[in-house]
Amino acid sequence: MTVVDTPLELSSGNGSTSRPFGVFARPTGGPGWRSWLTTVDHKKIGIMYGAAALAFFIIGGVEALLIRAQLWAPRGTLLSADQYNQVFTMHGTTMVFLVVMPIGAAFANYLMPLQIGARDVAFPRINAFSFWAFLAGGLFINSSWFLGGGADGGWFMYAPNSTVTFSPSNGIDFWNLGLLITGIASLTGAVNLIVTVLNMRAPGMTMMKMPVFTWMTLVTQFLLLFAIPVLTAAQFLLLFDRNFDAAFFDVSKGGQPLLWEHLFWIFGHPEVYLMILPAFGLVSDILPVFSRKPIFGYTFIVFSGVAIGFMGWGVWAHHMFVSGIGPVSVLVFSLATMFIAVPTGVKILNWTATMVGGKISLTSPMLFCIGLITMFTIGGLSGVTHSVAPADTQQTDTYYIVAHFHYVLFGGAFFGFMGGFYYYWPKVFGYLLNEKLGKANFWLMFVGFNLTFGPMHVLGLQGMSRRIYTYDAGYGFEFWNKLATIGAFVLASSIALFIFNIFYSKVKAKSLPKPGPDPWDSRTLEWMIPSPTPEYNFDPIPTVTRLDDFWYRKYGETEDGRLVRIAATEDVTQSAEGEHNVHLPSPSYWPLVAAVGLPIVGYGLIFTWWLCLIGGLITAGALYAWALEPADDPDAGHGAGHDDHPVAGAAPEADLVDADADAGTGAGANGEGADAGTNGEGVTEREVETVG
Amino acid sequence: MKRFNSTAAKIAIAASLGFFVVLWVAMVIAGVSGGGRFPLTTLQPQGPFSTLIDNLVAPVFIIAGIVFVGVLGTVFYIVMKYRVKGDPELDTAPMPRQTHGHTAAEVTWTAIPAAILAVVAVLTAITILDLSAEEPDSLQVEVFGQQWWWGFRYDVDNDGSFDSDSDVETAAELIIPVGRPVELSVTSNDVIHSFWIPALNGKRDAVPGMVSPWKIQADEPGVYRGQCTEFCGLSHANMRMLVRAIPADDYDRWIADQQKPAINPLAAQARAGLAEFNNNCASCHLVDGVNNEQLAETPAALVSGIAPNLTHLMSRGTFAGSIFNLHYPNPDGNNQPFGATCTDADAARLR
Repeated sequence: MTVVDTPLELSSGNGSTSRPFGVFARPTGGPGWRSWLTTVDHKKIGIMYGAAALAFFIIGGVEALLIRAQLWAPRGTLLSADQYNQVFTMHGTTMVFLVVMPIGAAFANYLMPLQIGARDVAFPRINAFSFWAFLAGGLFINSSWFLGGGADGGWFMYAPNSTVTFSPSNGIDFWNLGLLITGIASLTGAVNLIVTVLNMRAPGMTMMKMPVFTWMTLVTQFLLLFAIPVLTAAQFLLLFDRNFDAAFFDVSKGGQPLLWEHLFWIFGHPEVYLMILPAFGLVSDILPVFSRKPIFGYTFIVFSGVAIGFMGWGVWAHHMFVSGIGPVSVLVFSLATMFIAVPTGVKILNWTATMVGGKISLTSPMLFCIGLITMFTIGGLSGVTHSVAPADTQQTDTYYIVAHFHYVLFGGAFFGFMGGFYYYWPKVFGYLLNEKLGKANFWLMFVGFNLTFGPMHVLGLQGMSRRIYTYDAGYGFEFWNKLATIGAFVLASSIALFIFNIFYSKVKAKSLPKPGPDPWDSRTLEWMIPSPTPEYNFDPIPTVTRLDDFWYRKYGETEDGRLVRIAATEDVTQSAEGEHNVHLPSPSYWPLVAAVGLPIVGYGLIFTWWLCLIGGLITAGALYAWALEPADDPDAGHGAGHDDHPVAGAAPEADLVDADADAGTGAGANGEGADAGTNGEGVTEREVETVG
Repeated sequence: MKRFNSTAAKIAIAASLGFFVVLWVAMVIAGVSGGGRFPLTTLQPQGPFSTLIDNLVAPVFIIAGIVFVGVLGTVFYIVMKYRVKGDPELDTAPMPRQTHGHTAAEVTWTAIPAAILAVVAVLTAITILDLSAEEPDSLQVEVFGQQWWWGFRYDVDNDGSFDSDSDVETAAELIIPVGRPVELSVTSNDVIHSFWIPALNGKRDAVPGMVSPWKIQADEPGVYRGQCTEFCGLSHANMRMLVRAIPADDYDRWIADQQKPAINPLAAQARAGLAEFNNNCASCHLVDGVNNEQLAETPAALVSGIAPNLTHLMSRGTFAGSIFNLHYPNPDGNNQPFGATCTDADAARLR
């Protein structure tokens, strides 16, 4: 590494005008749909994550409705056994990998840089690549519907039922290869966001001054970083079994089915926490705003999240209590699982204490957050009942488990995300969602959700097995299944109402005043910049002195804890008219092109080898072009009125940086780092802090 | 923010909350009272092992219920008490006192759940060890699953092997003596299944290449139903299982009967049935004393390599993954099997 003793500031695109590889010139920014394909802006990428996830959510939701319609009455005939197996497999896969995880990624991408006062993530092009690879993987998996049928082994894909002998269609190959691609997306994203949190915080923002959502993002991304490789390893074994006649899971050749179970759940349990923690983060940031009080026990909230992240690695075998792992293992994992309830309980109690003595405004975001606290509590308690391993031998693989994890993932994660949508909508899109519809949305979802998943507790305890396409009369299943099916359609209508609200509010917003930077009187940095967020985020980068820095620019606190307004909101928010020149990373074609090659390799592995060659060449070529494209393009769009052309005095530095890049030592990486650089001051201060 | 406190809205919110309470109360009542009427319920133990589980689950459910009511009630109370009433825009109440945390409170509410869980943990540990203890004087049965039925091999001579000459193999229906523990060696011939008779014990996965110990015991004579609970492919939903507990004397007689090979039939109708069997069934299914040699020469062309042993089929109450009934009525009283294509005439010939 060369030592750069001047601030890492790429002050100008001046040096790049020579364009050593003209063919690789970077695309120009600007409005229009093309800008979305080449963007490296974390906000646009966040929005695309969200939009794609909602589209997949509709697909997964339709699959859920098919499941519920099939189970409306005994011996349903809507779906065949084969179709049902595909539908529930794809429902689970879609909801986990293509909905909940990417919605978490959407919030992390959009919000985390804003919450830490950064201009972008550390590696903007890798960020774009993560999104495109996720989308490519998601579309690849879903293309199986048109190419011979979806995967039919359950989202957990236990071997040997998932091997070619027992599932000869291509569905599982699509599942396997598609999730390998989204795994690449998750991994690159995790590295990117971890580096961003650790290295790109605004001056003064130490770790313990970060908003809880940023903390949870950090924990989540570490979980991803270590969990995804385990899944990838397992999937490679399955890939070799299915496509190259290996025998990792074939007992007759010395394979071991439990190997898959262990690997899958070593991934799968941290996976659960990485789905829920982003929502926990959102709630921890939203509750204080609408309670008019700071989060109660910030340190405990943060460290219970970290504790959950660590303990989440030691409980995977509670998914395997009945698999025959032996009483000692069962005992150890049973106790470990029980005690992970402690940090979770700490969070719930801290949230409750945050509201005590507050001034609670029951806005839509707040309602969804309270919904999360209560519904997640139910999911957590049913979770404790199956941490009791002997009880779990009765409950596991029944509808009781289905009820449990829907209370966790829908009642927990998704309610939190809904709160996040309502809360952040004005920041992202510049208009508020209609409150009346929002509240109706909440209550409809609350009723629909409980009506769908509550009865599943009873079904499970009455012995209804999971993943059965049909059941017989006389087992006590009829009534509760009918309730659940009605509930599912109520739930679907609440989602439809949400989508309606998006468009309705957009139309209505034209005749309403703009929400301004801070419509909710919020606490964290993202609310001190204009809505919707300008492309350059902050101008200038704020210097942070304490937790909830923005709040304490508006309010002071007396010694007995009374709030005193010290500044009008307008005086402490940033206006759209900035004062500084802002350098922003330039758009690039190559993340998209590199991602496009991946599913082509996937099709090649399934259908014909030469597609692998084409796909591989596309991806490899794109990576080459990526490495070789100039670090900056002077004509690229840099945000409204914030053009980046050199000001007098900046030229020498530009030469220096450019010379460094030309020297060829990791030009791509260098360019990337410089691309994303906040202002020079921020980086230097932070480096001093790290060293100190 | 617009006001949202019209009467209609208030009624809708009250109705939603009321609905939530009614739903959960109904569910608790269903769980406590209704479970016993249904064949697969986990809440009505019929043997010592399921009773052990039930004795552990009951207090855990009660604790969970108390926490459930406590937390939800507290949140509801806090929200009702501290919410801004009326129009927030017109609200002039002062800002609340700012509290940032309270270490003693944090320590308390970390310690209390941990203490409750520690109690549960001790009870759980005891039960896990009890459930995995070996039973003296137990009957040894190998249980093997395959798509989508269960086979059973009885170690009649108690020599540790399940295929001695005097041992008995049957399928679909596990006959056990009342009041005697039965130790099961659970395995699979193809994919992972799960053996589960909720009234007698929890479930145990049947994993190919592994033999997992499990045990059941029934206190009363009767028929106990089960369902495969590990997703095992196309017909997972139809992979049922059944235990019939009979008095010990009957059991000994039953074993003795099962040890006899099938009788070569003499009656014309029965001979026609034998011909039918040899033409259509004998390449996969075994009937002891009829086609042992034929099947030994050319093993069945199945993934699991085995089809149900049909010796003394008509002594069973059920067959084909326990979805086709020979003697038992279905729970709904309908004796006609699901998707049955077998006509009475076919059935008569096969007898």
